[in-house]
Amino acid sequence: MFLKVQLPWNVIIPAENLDAKGLLLQRSIIIRLLEDFAARKATKDLGYYLAVTTLESIGEGRVRQQTGDVMFPVVFSGITFKLYRGEILEGVVHKVLKHGVFLRCGPVENIYLSHLKMPGYSYMPGENPVFNDKVSRIEKDIVVRFIVIGTKWLEAEREFQALVSLEGHYLGPVS
Amino acid sequence: MNCEVALILEHKYEQLQQMSDDAGNHVSQVFEKSQQYVKRFSRYKNPDAVRQVREILSRYQLAEFELCVLGNLCPETVEEAIAMVPSIKTKGRAHDDEAIEKMLNDLSLIKKFE
Repeated sequence: MFLKVQLPWNVIIPAENLDAKGLLLQRSIIIRLLEDFAARKATKDLGYYLAVTTLESIGEGRVRQQTGDVMFPVVFSGITFKLYRGEILEGVVHKVLKHGVFLRCGPVENIYLSHLKMPGYSYMPGENPVFNDKVSRIEKDIVVRFIVIGTKWLEAEREFQALVSLEGHYLGPVS
Repeated sequence: MNCEVALILEHKYEQLQQMSDDAGNHVSQVFEKSQQYVKRFSRYKNPDAVRQVREILSRYQLAEFELCVLGNLCPETVEEAIAMVPSIKTKGRAHDDEAIEKMLNDLSLIKKFE
């Protein structure tokens, strides 16, 4: 789900960029904020950081003793993406294995749908492996509607993994 | 909702393109994948239509996440809507089947006239 968030942030402007005044300074703060934001990638609480929508306020700059940089406390609004348990979403299959498939949804690549959670489907190996049931197929590039049964935050890679299922009405491949 | 995010990300992308001469920044992987996703999975593309969808759904006292799931998945029947968002049918909430059906009909009208 996409979230609208409001966050405080400390933007650090190195001394070299400080002789600009007024608008130019504000511009460097914004650029720096966008860079930091993109570099953050994701956090456990808010999910994947997508975009900054508005800069709500820029506080007074404080000079940092050791380095001579100036730190500006800012507040901004942005959009993030996070998966929640119980949420129903649509994603695209990108890998089919014997025991299940991997889906991609938004910025999340590692969404696993186990064979055990695909009631009625059986695996057909081959050059283009697929899971079949009487009426439909689950194979690469198919859109599937699923429910999230669990999520995991991986601190080292700064990303989420999710476990999903097709157990429920109106879930499964979408034409 | 996906369609709203699609409009926002599209606008951001254009802004970043304009800024890219002097700032030299390009979009992150997260941004790119998300943009591809919302573009593909938005049922409504036109900004006026998107606004109308938000307006219609807002009339029904839904929680924000309920509104988003309904706007994203566009269920066609009352049964499907309840399967997607079971909380709209919990006791004490004023959503009987008729109200839900009306809401879904209004949404599909927008799609027809987009």
